[in-house]
Amino acid sequence: MRKRRVMAEWREYYQNEDDEVEEDEEDSGGAYKISGRDSLVFLVDASKEMFIKGEDGEPSNFDMTMQCVRSVYTSKIISSDKDLVALVFYGTEQSKNPRNSFKHVYVYHDLDSPGAKHVQDIDKLQGEKGAQLAEKTMGSGETSLGEALWCCSNLYSDIKLRLSHKRLMIFTCRDDPHVGDSAKDRQARTKAADLKETGVVIDLMHLTKPEGFDVSLFFCDIVSPPEDESELGLQTEPCRKLEDLQKRVRAKELKKRAQSRLTFSLGEGVNLAVGVYVLARTATKPPAVRLYRDTNEPVRTKTRYFHAHNGGILLPNDMKRAQVYGKKQIVMEKDEVDEIKKFDDPGLVLMGFKPMERLKLHHHIRPALFIYPEEEQISGSSCMFTTLLLKCSEKNVFALCRYIPRRNTPPRFVALVPQREELDQSQTQATPPGFRVIFLPFADDIRTVDAHVGPTASDEQVDKMKEIVHKLRFKYRSDAFENPMLQQHYRNLEALALDMLAPEPIEDLTMPKVQMMDDRLGPLVQEFKDLVYPPDYNPEGKPAAKRKPAESGGGGAEKKPKVEMSEEELKNHVEKGTLGKLTVPVLKDACRQFGIRTTGTKKQELIDALTMQFSK
Amino acid sequence: DVRPGALVLCMDVGFSMSNSEPGQEPSFEQAKKVIQKFVQRQVFAENKDEVGLVLFGTDGTKNGLAEDGQYENITVHRRLMMPDFELLEEIESKLQPGGQQADWLDALVVCMDLLQEETMGKKFERLNIVLLTDLNVQTSADQLDVIIDSLKKARITLQFFLPFPVDGEDRADGGGDGPGPSAAPVRPGKGLSRQQTQGLEMVKNIMTSLEEEDGLEEVYTFSDALQKLSIFKRIDRRPMAWPCHLTIGSSLTIRIVGYKAVTEEKVKKSWAIVEAQSHQRDDVKRETVYCLDDDNETEVQKDDTIQGFRYGSDIVPFSKVDEDQMKYKSDGKCFSVLGFTKQELVRCSPFMGSQVVKVFAARDDEHAAVALSALIRALDSLKMAAIVRYAYDRRSNPQVGAAFPCIKEKYECLLYVQLPFMEDLRQFTFPVLENNKKFKPSESQLSAVDALIDSMMLVEKDEDGESVDVFKVNHIPNPQFQRLFQCLHHRGVNPDDPLPPVEPWLKRDLERPQAVSARCQTPLQDVKTKFPLKVVVKKKEQKTSADVFGNQEHAFTLTSIPCEVSHFNRRSLFQVGSVNPVRDFCTLIRQKTVSFDQACQQLTHRIEQLLGNRSPEYYMKSIACIQAFRDQGAFLTGIFRSSGICSSKVKNRPSAHVELKTSCLQHALLFSDALTLISKDEVDGSTFSKQDANQVLTAFYSLQLTSFKKFV
Repeated sequence: MRKRRVMAEWREYYQNEDDEVEEDEEDSGGAYKISGRDSLVFLVDASKEMFIKGEDGEPSNFDMTMQCVRSVYTSKIISSDKDLVALVFYGTEQSKNPRNSFKHVYVYHDLDSPGAKHVQDIDKLQGEKGAQLAEKTMGSGETSLGEALWCCSNLYSDIKLRLSHKRLMIFTCRDDPHVGDSAKDRQARTKAADLKETGVVIDLMHLTKPEGFDVSLFFCDIVSPPEDESELGLQTEPCRKLEDLQKRVRAKELKKRAQSRLTFSLGEGVNLAVGVYVLARTATKPPAVRLYRDTNEPVRTKTRYFHAHNGGILLPNDMKRAQVYGKKQIVMEKDEVDEIKKFDDPGLVLMGFKPMERLKLHHHIRPALFIYPEEEQISGSSCMFTTLLLKCSEKNVFALCRYIPRRNTPPRFVALVPQREELDQSQTQATPPGFRVIFLPFADDIRTVDAHVGPTASDEQVDKMKEIVHKLRFKYRSDAFENPMLQQHYRNLEALALDMLAPEPIEDLTMPKVQMMDDRLGPLVQEFKDLVYPPDYNPEGKPAAKRKPAESGGGGAEKKPKVEMSEEELKNHVEKGTLGKLTVPVLKDACRQFGIRTTGTKKQELIDALTMQFSK
Repeated sequence: DVRPGALVLCMDVGFSMSNSEPGQEPSFEQAKKVIQKFVQRQVFAENKDEVGLVLFGTDGTKNGLAEDGQYENITVHRRLMMPDFELLEEIESKLQPGGQQADWLDALVVCMDLLQEETMGKKFERLNIVLLTDLNVQTSADQLDVIIDSLKKARITLQFFLPFPVDGEDRADGGGDGPGPSAAPVRPGKGLSRQQTQGLEMVKNIMTSLEEEDGLEEVYTFSDALQKLSIFKRIDRRPMAWPCHLTIGSSLTIRIVGYKAVTEEKVKKSWAIVEAQSHQRDDVKRETVYCLDDDNETEVQKDDTIQGFRYGSDIVPFSKVDEDQMKYKSDGKCFSVLGFTKQELVRCSPFMGSQVVKVFAARDDEHAAVALSALIRALDSLKMAAIVRYAYDRRSNPQVGAAFPCIKEKYECLLYVQLPFMEDLRQFTFPVLENNKKFKPSESQLSAVDALIDSMMLVEKDEDGESVDVFKVNHIPNPQFQRLFQCLHHRGVNPDDPLPPVEPWLKRDLERPQAVSARCQTPLQDVKTKFPLKVVVKKKEQKTSADVFGNQEHAFTLTSIPCEVSHFNRRSLFQVGSVNPVRDFCTLIRQKTVSFDQACQQLTHRIEQLLGNRSPEYYMKSIACIQAFRDQGAFLTGIFRSSGICSSKVKNRPSAHVELKTSCLQHALLFSDALTLISKDEVDGSTFSKQDANQVLTAFYSLQLTSFKKFV
C-alpha cells in the first residue's frame, strides 16, 4: 500500500496538464506518459416515483437507469478498465456509506474499476425482481440531495489515486426533490458548488414524469455550466427512451482527450494550435497476462540481454542494430535507427487546397483522426480554425497537409476535410465541428491491380438487381454492429469470473439474416439468376483456374512438416508431465511411431497411453 | 516456377553523356543516379526481380553478339541476377564514363539477346528493358521493323530515360506534373542535335508501335525519374488474388476475386540486435524471466505461470486451451451481403482497417462478370452500397464493411472498405464553433481566408482548360523508405562514416510547390495581420528533464548563492546537512572549515543517505549533489564516489530497483542528462582510467535502464 501512495504522490508531483495522452494508442511507442484515472459517479434517485412502470409495460425509470449503468460498466470493462465508477442511491430508507454519517444515502458500489461482480450486482437490480430487491435492501425514504452530494464528495476524496477527470451524473425523475424544503435546497446547492469547486462535473440525466420535468425549479443550480456559454447546456427534454438515455450518457461518459496537441502551420509564421483526437480505433482483445499458478497473481516479465560467451549482462550501449542484405551486414547504433525516421518536428504543415472531388474514396490506409482548435495553447486558434472550416466547407475544398505526429516519425500527407456540426432529432451532437484528418497513400501504398475485364450487364439485368437491392435496403448506423469476437471473449471471461456454467450466448450481428432475406426477396433471386446464369452454371463450383500458391494461405497450418519425436523427448515430457502441451496429431504420431495401442483417440487417452508406456 | 520479372538496365556511357551545360550535371551523372537509386530500392526492398546491366559506349567490348566489328563498345556488365549489394558497390565505383560512342539500337539488340538467353527455359511474368541515353549518336534505322517485331513477340516492354522530354512543347517548363520544381532544368531553349532529333523520332516510332497511343508515357526525363521512383511501378509486385463468393441470401452466389488495391506499405525488415564490438548476432543472448511483483522480485518458472485476462478489475485465469475452445469461431472466408444502404450514410461513418480491396468477378467467368456488373450498376444508379460481412479466412475475425460500386472506363468493380464496430467508436461532444460569438470571424477575416484558399489551390487549369493536380500524393514515394535505403546504402559502403543528411530532392518532395508558395505570399501576410494568434505562456510550463536539470544547475552553482553563503557565515558550518546538502557543501568549500576531501566525503555520505530514501524529491537532491561535485571541480573524485554508491547499491541491494521503480522515468532521464554532460565533456580528461569511468557510466546506465523498463 505504501508503494501505491508514493506512486500517487509522485504522479501528482509530476503530472502535467499538457501530458494527458492516450494511454493505449498503437503508436504511443516508447513515449512515456502517465495520466490519472477518470472517474464517474452515478447518483440515482431511489424514490418510489422512480419505480413506477410506464404505460404498456414500458420499463420504469429505475430500470432504464440500471440498464444504462450496466452498459457503461460493461463498456468500461472492455474499453477503459482503469476508469473508476461508483453507484450511489439517494432517497433510500436504509443508509450505507463509508462512515455511515449520511442518512438516506446508499453507496451500492464504491469508486472502483468495475469487474464482473459489479455487473452481476446491477443485473440483480433489474426488472420486477430487481425492484423487489431494491425495496428490501434500500427501500425508499426521505430525500436529501445535499447529503447525497456530500457523501459523493467523500468518495472522491477517499480515493488515493490521482483522478484526472471527475464526473457525477444524477438520474432522477423528480424536478423538486425536497418538495419546497428550502433549507434542504440550499444545502444541496452549497454541496453542489463545493463539488464543482473541486473539479467535479455534475450532469443531470433527467427522466420523464407525467407532468413534465422542470429543470428551472431546482436542478439548474445544481448542474455544471456547459463547456462554453453558447452550448445549450441543459437538454430541456427529459429522456423517454432507453436509447436516448444511453446516447446522452455515452456522450458524456468518456472524457474527450486529445491524442496530442500540435501546431498547425499555414506558413509565414501563421500558426494555430490544434488537438488531435481519435474518434474511432479498432478495439482489440487485450493481451493476456501471465499469472503465477499458485496464487493467481500477475507476474512481470523481465528481458535481459547477456553475452553468449562470457555471460556478462549487455547494456544498451553494448548492443547495436543490424540488417543483412545479401551477404552484407549493415550496422547502426540504436540512436541512428531512430534518427533515420526523423524528418522534421511534429506538426501539421499546410501544403495547399484541393477540390473535394480530388479526394478518392478508395485512398484509405488508416482510420481518420479529428482535429479541433486549442485556444489554451495559442489564443486566436479557434477563430482562425472556424474561419478555415467555414470557408473550406463553403468552397467545397479540403486542405492538404504534411503531418508528423511525434518525434522521430516520418511524415505522411493528410487531407483535412471540413465537417460542420450536425445535431440529431434529440438535439444531441451527431457530428462534431472540426476537420477530419484523412491519411493519404504514398505511391508505395498503391498496388497495381490488373483489372478483370468482362462483359457488362444489360439494362434488364441491372433493373432486376435494383429490385433485389431495393428489397434489402436498410438504414446503416455505424454503431449498429458489435464485434462478435470481442463480445464472445468478454462473455467467456464473465462466465469464468462469475462461475457461470456457460457463457451467455452472443448474437452475432455480422451474420446475414439469410432466412429473412430469402423471404423478402421471394422469387426475385430465381428471376435474376435466370437472367444472368445459364441453366447448367453452378457458381458454387470450384473455379477451374488453378489456385495460386499463396492463395492457400488459410491452409498453411495443416501442412506443417511432420516432426518425429525421439524416445528421449517423449520420456522427458512424461517425466515432467508436459505431454498435454503437445497437439493431438503429434501425440497420435508418437503412439503410431512406438506402436502403442490406445483405447481411443481423445487427447487424454493418448496421453495416458504414452505415460503408461514410458513410465514403465 | 514463375519468376516475377526480369529487367535489363541499358545505360549509355559514351563520351557525349559526359558533356554538360555550365552549371549542370552531365547526363552521365544523372543517369547513374537513376540507376543507383533504382538498384538501391531493389536491393533494400528485397525485390525478387532479376536485373541485368548493359553499358554502351564503353572502351571495351563484351557481349554475345560482337563479331566482325559489329556490336562493338557494348559491354554486358552483369547478366540477369537478383540485385545485391555488390551490384550497388560496382555501380558506385566501377560505373565510369567511356570514351567511345555506340549505337543505342545495337545496345537494345544486345539487351534483347541477353534477355532471351537468360530467360530460356524459365518463365518470367514480365520482361523489361530500360534504356538511358542522350540519343546523341548516329543510329542506323535499318531493321527497325524487325526489332519492333521481335520485341512484340517476346513480349518485352521498353522504357526510355532521356535528358530531355519527348514532347518538345514541354521542354521549356521542365515538363510534367512533378511535385516541386524539377531537379535539373532540361537544356532550356537549346535545340537538339541532328542525331538526337533523329533518335527521338525513332524512339517515338518504337514506343508507339509497341504500346499504341500510351507508348510515349513510358519515356521519361532523368529528372522525372529522380523525383518519382514510382515510374518503376511496372516492375512492382502484384497483389495476391483472393477468390471468394459474394452471397445475397441463401441462393444468390457470385464468384468473385478480391485484390488489395491500397494498403499501407510498411518497412518489411526489422533490425536485429548485435554485439557492439563483434557485430555478431549470436553473441547476444536474450533471456526473459518471470517474476512476482514483490520487493524481492522473486523469479518464477514459466511453467509455473498460467494465462489470464483482465475483466475490469478482475483477472480471470483462462488457459490457452480453454480460450481456443471457447473463442469465437468464424466459418471460413466469406463476402456476404447483409443489406444495402445509401452511400451517404456510409460515407459519414469512419472507415477502419488499413486497406481497400477491389472486388472483380472471377477471371474468365463471363456469367459471374455479368451478375456482378448488374450489382455494380444497380448500386451505382441507386447511389447505394452493400454492407457485407467479410472474413479473409477461417482463422481471421470477421469484419463488417461497405462495398461501393466503381465504374471506370475500362472496368467495373466493387471497392470494399472496413467499417467500425460499436466498440471501436468514441463519442465525444465538442463545443460549438460556428455560432460561437467568441470565435465568430469578421467579414474581412472571411475574405482573407477566401483569398488564401484561392491562392493555394493545388489544382490548376492548363491551357486546354483541363484541371491538373500539381501535388499528387499518390505519386510521391514514401520518404521513409527512401531515407532508410539511402542510409543503409551509405552505411554499407562507408561503415565508419556518420549518416548522411536527407537528400535535398527528398526534402523538396515534402515541401509546398514553389509556384504555390510564391502565389500565397500576399494573402498569407493579409491573414497574418487579420488574425491575432498568440502563443499562450503557461505558468506551469512542461517540465522536460533538461528544464528541470537546467534550473537545478543554475540554483546550485556557486555564483548564484552568495547571499546564502553570507547568511551561513554567521555560524560557521562544519558539516554537510541533509536539508540543503549542496548549499552546505558549497559553503564548506568556500569557508574551508573542513578539508576539500572531507567535504567531498560528507557530501558522498549524504548522497548515500538520499539514495536510501524512496521519495522522488530525494532523488532530485542527490542529482543536485552530483551536479555540485561537478561544478566544484571535485567532480572527478565525487562523481566516481557517488556513482560507486549507485553501482554498489544495484549490486548489493535488489531494493535499489524498487526505489527506482517508485520514482519515474523523468527521473531516469535526469540521470541520463547528468551523464551525458559528464561522459562527453569530462571523462576524457580524467585521471581515472577509462575503464573506471566506463564502470561509473554503466552503473548509472543500468539504473536508468532498469527503471525505464519497468515503466514502459
